[in-house]
Amino acid sequence: MALTRRDWLKTTGAGLASAPAALAGFEDYFQPAASASPAVTKAVSCCGICSPACGLQATIQDGVVRFVEGLPGDAHGFGRLCGKGAASVNYLYDPDRLKYPMKRTNPRKGFDQDPGWVRISWTEALDEIAFRMKQTIDNYGREALLFVTLPSPDLWLRFMNAMGVVNRVDHRDECFLTDMVIQRYTTGGKTWCNDFENSKYILLFGWDIVAKAKIVYANGIVEARKNGGKVVHFSPNYTATSRFANEWIPIRPGTDLAVALAMIQVIISENLYNKDFVDRYTNFGRYETEIRAHFAQYTPEWAEQISGVKAADIRRIAREFATQGPAIAPAHKKTLCANYMNGSQLVHAISILNILAGTIDRPGGRYFPRTHSIPGVDAVYPPPAYPARTGRRVDGRDRLPLVNEVDAGMFSTLADGMLNKYPGMIKFAFWNAYTILAFPNPRTMEEAMKTVDFTVVMDFIPTDTVSMADIVLPSTMYLEVNDAVARDYNAKYPQTVARAAISPPAFETRSIGWVAIELGKRLCPDYFKTPDGSWINPATLLDEKVKRAGLGENFADFRAKGIVETKQPFTPRTSFVTVSGADGKCQIYVPQFIARGVDPLPKWVPKREMPNEHYPYYFMTFIPAIHKRNTTQNMAILNEIMPTNHAIINPALAKKHGISQGQKVLVRSRAGQIELPAHLSETVPPDVVMVAHGFGHASRALSLAGGKGARDGDLIANPSIDDFIKAGNYAGSSCIMDAVCSIEPL
Amino acid sequence: MSTYGWLIDEKLCIECRACESACKTWNQVETGVGVRWRQVRVREMGVYPQVRQQALTGSCYHCENAWCMKACPVKAIWRRTEDGTVQIDQEKCVGCQQCAMFCPYGAPQFNLRTRKMSKCTFCFDRREQGLDPACVTLCPTGALQYGRWDQIQSRGAETTENFAPPRQTRPRVRFIRDPFPVNK
Repeated sequence: MALTRRDWLKTTGAGLASAPAALAGFEDYFQPAASASPAVTKAVSCCGICSPACGLQATIQDGVVRFVEGLPGDAHGFGRLCGKGAASVNYLYDPDRLKYPMKRTNPRKGFDQDPGWVRISWTEALDEIAFRMKQTIDNYGREALLFVTLPSPDLWLRFMNAMGVVNRVDHRDECFLTDMVIQRYTTGGKTWCNDFENSKYILLFGWDIVAKAKIVYANGIVEARKNGGKVVHFSPNYTATSRFANEWIPIRPGTDLAVALAMIQVIISENLYNKDFVDRYTNFGRYETEIRAHFAQYTPEWAEQISGVKAADIRRIAREFATQGPAIAPAHKKTLCANYMNGSQLVHAISILNILAGTIDRPGGRYFPRTHSIPGVDAVYPPPAYPARTGRRVDGRDRLPLVNEVDAGMFSTLADGMLNKYPGMIKFAFWNAYTILAFPNPRTMEEAMKTVDFTVVMDFIPTDTVSMADIVLPSTMYLEVNDAVARDYNAKYPQTVARAAISPPAFETRSIGWVAIELGKRLCPDYFKTPDGSWINPATLLDEKVKRAGLGENFADFRAKGIVETKQPFTPRTSFVTVSGADGKCQIYVPQFIARGVDPLPKWVPKREMPNEHYPYYFMTFIPAIHKRNTTQNMAILNEIMPTNHAIINPALAKKHGISQGQKVLVRSRAGQIELPAHLSETVPPDVVMVAHGFGHASRALSLAGGKGARDGDLIANPSIDDFIKAGNYAGSSCIMDAVCSIEPL
Repeated sequence: MSTYGWLIDEKLCIECRACESACKTWNQVETGVGVRWRQVRVREMGVYPQVRQQALTGSCYHCENAWCMKACPVKAIWRRTEDGTVQIDQEKCVGCQQCAMFCPYGAPQFNLRTRKMSKCTFCFDRREQGLDPACVTLCPTGALQYGRWDQIQSRGAETTENFAPPRQTRPRVRFIRDPFPVNK
């Protein structure tokens, strides 16, 4: 295998003889480690697989990163890494990595087409991209540009702002957007800070966090259990999280909202809420009449009819939650609860439960992160005024005012916008590190991509999205870049870690920040100059940011420290929501919602689709512990552990359809169909078909992941903005979990 | 020098597979050739909704009475005197797979490319440098620990659910089976 990979590298023109020194590490990784006189060094950086950025320590032997482990004492990773982070070298040295800018020669686009890549220089690539962008703006206006990317890093955001980009979309509607929108008005807090360790009662509405192995949370749950805390897990299927729960309570898919509403009803009608907190820091008193009248309808008996959870259990758990605290109910992420059509209502209800427990920014509750304040580029080098972002939102997001305010989303409605609402409007697209698998119904997204005249994709492996590009830009990965990361997951005190380039950029890879500056020089030069007229230098900028944040004299100084922690006592806040009219209080009843056409209190809304005669089963997706969404399937170790996905069904359902273990099945929904092998498991209820997310990469250039498994998204019908508005999904939950399906043996 | 053993607290395993990734990277165990020295095996028991799962990390247990050693026809499997661990000599191994047939734990595995057996070395190279085995170093929750056998031996049970009877081979592993505390 080592030889094969080496040969492959040679065929790409990066043979040892011609390889510049920067490639030595990449090449040598595939050689057995030299046993004689190994020059071993250790370097500190942080993981980039998922967002908590656990501190890591790398063992580097003769310039090759051989091993990564946790950073002792780091509060975010608890000094450890998960299986994904521990396999980081697979990411760094993936032989499939994109190595040079490339240009398409085959005009036909589609996953079944060979793009006919030709290697080009960075100058040619950047000149062409700049020309196309300018031409698009001149001919069709700024609204014709689509940027599929997060609004980071700051240099990249500056470029998009300077270009007046209207249509920047990201995945957050599939993730934490609902909570981001609702926390803004209910508690003012950030969605991902949960003090599990000090919590005595953790209520999980489908929040399958242990099973995803995000260790900052998983360890929090473990610590809570070690400290005698109670964990209750509502979930249709039994998961690793259920193993860590004192009680796993099966629930019908998409009905968590009914249980949450009934729990609020119990806590309010029995006056069990944290009176001190609620009286002092919330608007309960002011809207008490409305609140009591509204929730009176949601009795545990009513919720039992909908959810299948016994009324007595709902009542008991509500009482325990209110009285055995400090109690916490997190709400975050794609799986499971927050991604039904009723996700907006559910997240509001969960927020109210936390407020009633009186644990907002209190030990054992959801709290505001304490972080170092690192200035962005706009603070270091104030820009000229940005142009107005005028034009139509292709995803229709402007019709969800609360979502628009936080400038996040909307993957879920992008394809509908590009194909149906505004066909032909998007002429130029720039995709940064997102694959098409991330979309509901990727087939429609593939069709939507075909309607775009010119597409640029920046990534570091040849994903399906890359195969649709006109120009491909090879990206660095997280062990090849410098940065200061002010983490905010386990942030009861500020802890900033140095993301240090412990390996030089492989081949001709570059960072998106560098691309921003180079495109900026060509298209909006005034925005990329320092006060003395020179071009912004990313290294100088980072030095300045580090200095201003008090992390060190410069980045080198900070890097030598590895991590800067400012230990300080946790002082609970007394002021919460900052939006006008809230008077700094937590808001159970949100009066500001009314002017935006949204109900001020959460109400019952069913999930989008219910089992019916054609599609009698619930379709559920999940993210397995060993993979990060759709990004890690090509990592050799992780691929070996879990190379593909299955249709996971209960043996009783299998028997009903004559399906045996491993047999190929056809799973159909109104959106599409997938074929994959069945896996029989007693962990899923008999009316559910469950498929892991992240598989079904079409790109054969991914030598390990390409062609393996099926896309869960193929069964998920694209929602439209009209669907969202009709269903009161004002905070943009992307309906990932709403599909229903049929199953038959093949 | 003393011998070593594993200490497993299975209730703490979150199935993150950090132990597997660490083992593979540190030891540079090839992927795609059917060899995983350490594996987390997840088993389910019961019928929905009365269902349970067990996640158990497993590797070579460096048995006191190692059947693999006895089964090997070419004496490729030997015990290091320094730490009592069981090792496979890659030069001598002929890949006959006899050891795999006798091992109750699936420890020795056949490498499809080299056509030889390989297995967990208990990271003797790391321990010689004063480091913990790679898998233990990464385990985020402490589900997998190790220690001197004379200290580990008394700290847990000889066996657990879904673990082959230890009487004959006497694997150097103990299982912590206490549940989490319940606060009432």
